[in-house]
Amino acid sequence: MVPIRYNVRSLLVRKVTTLATAGGIAMVVFVFAAAQMLGEGVNRALANSGRADTVIVLRKGSDAELSSTLDGERLNMLRGNPAVASSAPGGGVIGESVLVITAELADGSGGISNVLLRGMPADGMAFRPEARIVSGRAATPGTNEVIVGKSISGRFQGIAPGKTFEVRRNRPLVVVGVFETGGTSFQSEVWGDLDTIRSSVGRQSVVSSARVRLTSASAFESYRAAMESDKRLNLQVMREDEYYKKASEQTSGFLSGMGMVIAILFSIAAMIGAAITMNGAVANRTREIGTLRALGFSRLAILTSFMIEAIFLSLIGGAIGLVFVQLLALVSFPTMNFQTFSEIVITFVATPAIMISSLIFSIVMGLLGGLAPAIRAARVSPVEAMRG
Amino acid sequence: MNRATYASRNLFRRKGRTILTVIAIAVAMLIFCAIRTVDVNFMASVDDAMADRIATRHKVSITMQLPLRYIQDVRAIPGVTKATWGNWFDAKDPKERVPFFQGLAVDHNSWFDVYDDMVVDPAVLAEWKATPNGVIIGDKLAAIFQVKPGDKLVITSGIYPGDWEFKVIGLYMPSRRTIDRNSVILRWDFLNNDPRAELMKDQIGWILTRIGGNANSAEMSRSIDKVFDERDDQTITMSERAFNLSFLGAFSAMLTAFDLVSIVILLIMMLILANTLAMSVRERTNEYGVLRAIGFPPKSIFGFIVGESLLLALVGGLLGCLLTFVLINMMLGPWLESSPMASMFPYFRTPIRVMAMGLGLSLLLGLIAGLLPARRASRLKVTDALRRAD
Repeated sequence: MVPIRYNVRSLLVRKVTTLATAGGIAMVVFVFAAAQMLGEGVNRALANSGRADTVIVLRKGSDAELSSTLDGERLNMLRGNPAVASSAPGGGVIGESVLVITAELADGSGGISNVLLRGMPADGMAFRPEARIVSGRAATPGTNEVIVGKSISGRFQGIAPGKTFEVRRNRPLVVVGVFETGGTSFQSEVWGDLDTIRSSVGRQSVVSSARVRLTSASAFESYRAAMESDKRLNLQVMREDEYYKKASEQTSGFLSGMGMVIAILFSIAAMIGAAITMNGAVANRTREIGTLRALGFSRLAILTSFMIEAIFLSLIGGAIGLVFVQLLALVSFPTMNFQTFSEIVITFVATPAIMISSLIFSIVMGLLGGLAPAIRAARVSPVEAMRG
Repeated sequence: MNRATYASRNLFRRKGRTILTVIAIAVAMLIFCAIRTVDVNFMASVDDAMADRIATRHKVSITMQLPLRYIQDVRAIPGVTKATWGNWFDAKDPKERVPFFQGLAVDHNSWFDVYDDMVVDPAVLAEWKATPNGVIIGDKLAAIFQVKPGDKLVITSGIYPGDWEFKVIGLYMPSRRTIDRNSVILRWDFLNNDPRAELMKDQIGWILTRIGGNANSAEMSRSIDKVFDERDDQTITMSERAFNLSFLGAFSAMLTAFDLVSIVILLIMMLILANTLAMSVRERTNEYGVLRAIGFPPKSIFGFIVGESLLLALVGGLLGCLLTFVLINMMLGPWLESSPMASMFPYFRTPIRVMAMGLGLSLLLGLIAGLLPARRASRLKVTDALRRAD
């Protein structure tokens, strides 16, 4: 086998060419990794929002919290089943009112977006043990106080600690604290008191949806069967984690699908770039290759050697791309949750799997771009090459 | 042989490399155009909004509705020529033939007066006005649903419970290419008189107003909102453009990301081009020495190399435009427009201005890519250039 040092030195001696080619590959890997990191961010935010031992109950056919309404009678019907963890906060059942409000961006652009405002009973916060206050304090139940999720705090006018905004004229809601939920989509919501919020919009007697904590995740089927069997109730019962997974599939599938298509198209250009460079390398080194062949290196050894060089080249690019893509951790990306029409802010999440698949992707680019030139190198006839 | 011939002849010396470079530039152009096309067409509904139409909706939330009587108040405002209203129906196909299409419940008496860019045959319109459960449907959706006038059409709604059975009266025709041809227009009063819609009785989603030709839309918006300022349900009024944009607002970050990414592919293209030139220049250093020795000034050498770069960028760019035209405007576009995705992209073609922009950018980047190798080659001392061997 031709020593690997030969390839490394060949790349080093042609710095500009090596860097230009690796730079192209780096950008493709950047886009490839960034798209997956975004998809992963959406998954973190949405798919992790739900719990397996909790169910979400909606009006049948509404499919989303936003368009669902449940009256007090139905809410009561949800209790009184042995599957309900009645020792949990709220007796295991909480009804919430969900409203999408129009908010003006705080950046002064005049742009508007939608924010999800969730009215919850006194036990609403305790019902979600993952939620904790990171600054300020919790909202006092029964008042006009609200808390804002960390991801959107300060993004919209009036929706930041110490500020107020109105859902109904002359009845301001006061932001008293900021909460986080470990990166889930709840972190892009505003939470307040159920009665304050639903009475502001004239929906005193109804809630949008209910959440029911079960004694165990396995109690779901029996509970669903019990609730959905009564057709008059007209209820739709879903596991909370599945409800959010459904929402995330649309959004993350859309984002990472788009990103993948773009990255794969980009890779065509980068592969051609690699092919040009490797072709040039072969052309310039015909004499060298002839010499190597004359020294006794086989065609296979030459082929391998040039393939290794191509892989090195693409790995340099891949590594550069991955270093730069880490900077995206500093960027947050607002997108739309298709289920609620409201904005969720997601962050780019890097996982080892994404890093590895990106490197593999760069190697594939090197392999495909370097194959034809390597075959050409292997075909060099030693006699003719050395004659010049 | 003149200088231009020399520059272009050089391109044929390494045919394989030239061809690969041209292909790379063409592919980069194609991708650039494709990404920009998504962008441009996604925003088309916004960009094509009518300047004399303004929209009024509930100030607090897109899901909250306004009292029906507001329409009278709007019509009474000086400067308002026509006003109509609509509600979201959140239409769904029970057979799931399309993932998404727009269902609008509108006032049958005034809707098509305000929305005169959706053209309806007067006879069809008259029949619709006489048929409470009638719908007017976009031609593309009619083709997907395989319905014709007189057929019944069952649609479900995420907002109004149950199955709704309608009678297809006829089609509306778009007067512009960006108008969605996958909508169902049904009668608001039909919904309003149904007991299933009791919770939303006499409520309307939004009001669309046409204002006189010389009225200022920002001023008119303010005067409409002022009328309702003291009422329980306040309004927010904006131009049709801003109204459409508010639904796409959350996509704006994605569109910005698209724009950035479309620049990245051009940068990749520039690196490839710069590399090709650097390689060629390196191989030809000796020749440049000879050219200098026989009397060509450095600026000629500079010109040869930049000229070669621009020529590559131009040929690759033009080929890219051709590819874009064939692949997007003749193949992908027509396919998308009749696919279930058509609600998102009623019209998907790359506009000439996008191709021109891509071509311009690729020439600019070709110039930049050529500068460095050109500078280096033109500054070489004759003796060094002649001595150097790669």
